[in-house]
Amino acid sequence: IPVARVIVPRNFRLLEELEDGQKGGGDGIVSWGLADDEDMTLTHWNGMIFGPPKTVYEGRIYSLKIECGARYPEHPPLVRFVNKINLSCVHSSSGVVDIKSMGALSRWKNSYNIKTVLQELRLHMTLKENNKLSQPPEGQVYSN
Amino acid sequence: MADQGAADPGNNNNNKPEASEGTIIKVTVKTPKDKEEIAIAEDASVTQFKEEISRRFKAKQDQLVLIFAGKILKDGDSLSQHGIKDGLTVHLVIKTAHKAGDGGSTSASSSSSTQAGSTSTSSPGTNPSSTAGSTGTAVPPSQTPNILTGFGDLAGLAGLGMGSANFMELQQQMQRQLMSNPEMLSQIMENPLVQNMMSNPDLMRQMIMANPQMQQLMERNPEISHMLNNPELMRQTMELARNPAMMQEMMRNQDRALSNLESIPGGYNALRRMYTDIQEPMFSAAREQFGSNPFSALGGNSESGVQPSRTENREPLPNPWGPPSSSNPSESAGASTGSASTTAGTTPSVSNPLGINPGSLGNGMFNSPGMQSLLQQISENPQLMQNMLSAPYMRSMMQSLAQNPELASQNPASSPSSAGTNAAQQQLMQQMLQMFAGGGGGGTTQTPEVRFQSQLDQLSAMGFINREANLQALIATGGDINAAIERLLGSQPS
Repeated sequence: IPVARVIVPRNFRLLEELEDGQKGGGDGIVSWGLADDEDMTLTHWNGMIFGPPKTVYEGRIYSLKIECGARYPEHPPLVRFVNKINLSCVHSSSGVVDIKSMGALSRWKNSYNIKTVLQELRLHMTLKENNKLSQPPEGQVYSN
Repeated sequence: MADQGAADPGNNNNNKPEASEGTIIKVTVKTPKDKEEIAIAEDASVTQFKEEISRRFKAKQDQLVLIFAGKILKDGDSLSQHGIKDGLTVHLVIKTAHKAGDGGSTSASSSSSTQAGSTSTSSPGTNPSSTAGSTGTAVPPSQTPNILTGFGDLAGLAGLGMGSANFMELQQQMQRQLMSNPEMLSQIMENPLVQNMMSNPDLMRQMIMANPQMQQLMERNPEISHMLNNPELMRQTMELARNPAMMQEMMRNQDRALSNLESIPGGYNALRRMYTDIQEPMFSAAREQFGSNPFSALGGNSESGVQPSRTENREPLPNPWGPPSSSNPSESAGASTGSASTTAGTTPSVSNPLGINPGSLGNGMFNSPGMQSLLQQISENPQLMQNMLSAPYMRSMMQSLAQNPELASQNPASSPSSAGTNAAQQQLMQQMLQMFAGGGGGGTTQTPEVRFQSQLDQLSAMGFINREANLQALIATGGDINAAIERLLGSQPS
């Protein structure tokens, strides 16, 4: 039975995500919000990931910058880390996240949102290939 | 306009001197574990907010990290600057020495761990502690190696509160209770500490391997160590042990598949032997925990009496198998194919949380004299054999054999050796097979044809003229016509 899919306009979606972020939808493991409250285009977002336990990322809080472009949510956002991190799919020099190489996110669906991205990144940190990588000292940020 | 009597900037009725406006907002502060609603002035600073939080969460202010909308709130900021309004949620991370936002579970387990340390037998003390260090949920650093011991410790101390000075005893008591009460076992399994431990295959392996009996067992049967070293299998095993529902499911599947094996002449022998040889020593190794070895009766003890098995009802097989067949089963079972990697094995019962699949443990078992004597006993008393077979243990054995068709096929292949020697023995085998295949009553020696006469008739009426095939199918399915038809139809394309 085909289900009619309503395509939610971008701004509605982002407003929803804003509200969810403000209400703590990330359950204490991820957080996100508008970078600039006056940003009417709802493009620039801050994200935050708490390093998952039992990994080298444990105890650290990672800041991210997220850009939801004009074609979001049909297209994934641009994501980059602010805090330096050693993680596969993250360019070590700029902190930019290569979403296309990230498993679940590489097959982006418009039902994915900022929360999904942050959660996936966090999951990514727990993978065997990543969870023991040596990390730069805390507090260092990418210079861009 | 100017009547701001009540809401006077001077804050007469407001006990928060810092708030110039006096509007209190309620902000939810969430940690990964906790949630509190904190009332704070709308224009308070982050520092003031943290003061309040440190009181409520009983943590030091400098341990608090506040996040809102993806931004870390710095002390000098104000709440309003970040847009924190009434009803919104702020995330809190409490930095501890080890990790953020946790501390609760360490106390309970550390107390038990100190006590556990005193009773470790051949405890691989360093290894679990190193893994414990990395788990962060404070698994007791020194685990005694016995199977279930760790759980016995924690649960025993926490739940039973027995004043026994001897922890080994306590553990055994614990385990005995566990055996008799599967509910408890599942409760314990639910305990996150336990689950954590179980989800660490290294730890489990350490525990298992450190049991001296297990070590002996491993020496005798290299396949066991092979199995233990297979992390996949361990993980599955632990999954199973952790999830009783899954375990039951597995068992049921096994039972079903096992019945398929029954029709293979000689296969039954092989299974028996394999099972006994592996399972029995395994159980013996675990005996001290389980308090009884359900298989001890099988191992060739003729009149050892019935061991009160906690989980299964097994009767001893006092009578030896008939003389002609004593030597042959060993041959028929001799076709072992090396390590059969049947990873779908499971525990036959709740009493074996290892969930080790006996089938995968090795087919070198077949040559054991124990098996022979077992078979001797069986032949004398078909009823007992029936009982034995109906026990799930056997079924899981057969299951594993079923999963290794190679092995199974080798059995019939080798049975020509026995066929050549004694046709009567084959007949006996057939009878044996029928007995448990059909749940034949009272040890009668009906041939399958007789038993399935009506079904055979029905099948041939339906057009299945190959009587042999029909018979085989009926035997395999225990007389179930529909299943037999499935089999018959399924085997045509091959």
